[in-house]
Amino acid sequence: MKPKFVVVFLKEIRETLRDKRSLGLLVMFTLMYPVMLGYILNRQIERATRPEREGISLAVIGAAQAPTLMAQLKQKNITVHEMPDLGEDAITELLHSPKTAALLRLPKNFSESYAAMRPARIELWYDSATEQDNRRHDIEDVLQAYGSNIASARLLAHGVSPAILQPIQVQHYDTGTNAARSAGLIGSILGFLFFPAFICGLSAAVDSTAGERERRSLEVLMAQPARTWELVVGKWLAAGSLAIVGITLELVLAHAILSWLPLEEIGMSWRVNWRDLALVCLASVPLSLLAAGLQIAVAMNARSFKEAQSVLSFVMLVPMVPGIAVSMLDLKTADWMYIVPMLSNQTLLRETAKGGDLGPLPYVLTFGCSLLGALIAVGFASWRMKSERYVLAV
Amino acid sequence: MIEAKEVRKQFGPVQALAGVSFSARDGAITALLGPNGAGKTTLLRTLVGMLKRDHGTIAIDGVDPEQDPMTVRANIGFLTDQFGLYERLSTREYLTYFGELNGMGKALLRDRIDQVAAMLGMDDILERRSKGFSQGQRIKVALARALLHRPRHLLLDEPTRGLDVMSTRAVRNALVALRAEGCCVVLATHVMQEVSHLCDDVIVIAKGHTVAQGSPLQLCERTGIANLEDAFVSLVGTDEGIVA
Repeated sequence: MKPKFVVVFLKEIRETLRDKRSLGLLVMFTLMYPVMLGYILNRQIERATRPEREGISLAVIGAAQAPTLMAQLKQKNITVHEMPDLGEDAITELLHSPKTAALLRLPKNFSESYAAMRPARIELWYDSATEQDNRRHDIEDVLQAYGSNIASARLLAHGVSPAILQPIQVQHYDTGTNAARSAGLIGSILGFLFFPAFICGLSAAVDSTAGERERRSLEVLMAQPARTWELVVGKWLAAGSLAIVGITLELVLAHAILSWLPLEEIGMSWRVNWRDLALVCLASVPLSLLAAGLQIAVAMNARSFKEAQSVLSFVMLVPMVPGIAVSMLDLKTADWMYIVPMLSNQTLLRETAKGGDLGPLPYVLTFGCSLLGALIAVGFASWRMKSERYVLAV
Repeated sequence: MIEAKEVRKQFGPVQALAGVSFSARDGAITALLGPNGAGKTTLLRTLVGMLKRDHGTIAIDGVDPEQDPMTVRANIGFLTDQFGLYERLSTREYLTYFGELNGMGKALLRDRIDQVAAMLGMDDILERRSKGFSQGQRIKVALARALLHRPRHLLLDEPTRGLDVMSTRAVRNALVALRAEGCCVVLATHVMQEVSHLCDDVIVIAKGHTVAQGSPLQLCERTGIANLEDAFVSLVGTDEGIVA
């Protein structure tokens, strides 16, 4: 004869698996995040590794008036396309395509003003809505250099040292490294990887408690020769196992994607092998159980599915708080972080990703503290279901 | 055999049961009559040990539901005013779930489900999921669930409500068959015709008190009113208060 909590567990699993629509949503949610993450990181890597000034394409109207400028642009690997004079609409149209970074227009009187040493106007046309900012800066730098060269030459011709025009000289030193810049990024990425623990079991937890209460089947169930803890544990394990499947899938997929991407190019590291990953997944099992336990303990008190969902959507923000607080306060990794569920999982994965030897303590703490919390939640739920107040409200 | 003596139950300021005493014999159908709010649901919940009484004694085949609720529940088929169906399970899966919760093995369950389905005439819905079942089909499934584990006692809250004539007859015939098997059936109902045709004993409760127990005939004799419905009304009392 099956233990009664197993009977309840199997029935809840069967019922949940038959709800194809919410199951499909869960699968989509679980798979979407790592895929989206992979896509975004991949684009970042592509942008970081793209050769500088690779084929900056510049359209120029009236190029013949400034042959030196054209030569300098070509030196900086900027391809100049000479154009006949265009109207404003045609220019806008041209700049709309990502191929052309910007357009220079030298007015007809350019040579004349230049020769007369009046400021010779050059028009720089660009479209700030396209992502060509870096390329435009490169072009502007060339223009700037071209201008100062001419200025220097003219001053020299008058016997004045061009250095007079440079009372100060600014030199730039950037101490930021790619690694430091991406540290914050990878922290927030890893934080969200554990979210399925709270999402995947949610509908099963709510449906088997508040839902059953709303459909008025809980009273019948409570009148069966099964103890309340057997009912609660069956429902808890059903919701928990969905969450475990969800988070394991998510971590495995994320691992596959992150190890496939050349993250070193943007200064991130993912030094996790399959053995580490298995350990992290195992240490995260109680997190799913804790989430399911909390959801059951909260949802069973709601009168309807809807009420439970709105309360829980608020409750689910709570586990995110420590992680956000730690990253905002910029705290260094400390042992106490492994005691706080969710934060402990995030910290564990982040430290593993760095590739150091953590020793068993973080794993044990991560596993144990969540499990303890889960058991407390389930104990509370069983106690609550037994109480007369609850029976009356069912 | 169900025996209750002076059972009282209070919820805050509300005295839900103010002294209910009765006995329901084996091999008999006992009607539980009482206006809405008389405390029938509280009484039934107390009998299966979901609620604890404040005062009095309850014995179901000699077992106190408060001391040993599991033994008592295994021996009771309970049909409340809620059917408690699961829309995503077929009738057979539903019955299997509750059978297993009552500790029944696979082979036994298969036989029993077929028996109960034949008894209630519900072979056609056995493999269907309960979504979209009619009221009658729902009640049949719930009743089948209550009968499945061959309980010695049945606590049924209005089992024939919403049923068509054929189904009502099927349920009544089933109850008569169960009585013949020696079951102790307690039937809360508002249908007087059912009480006079079916029940051997009647318990009338009003405002948490047992106001009378006896056969339908005895109740009529006691009140001096020939019609059972009128006798019931006279027993529960008029606006001025409770008679008896």
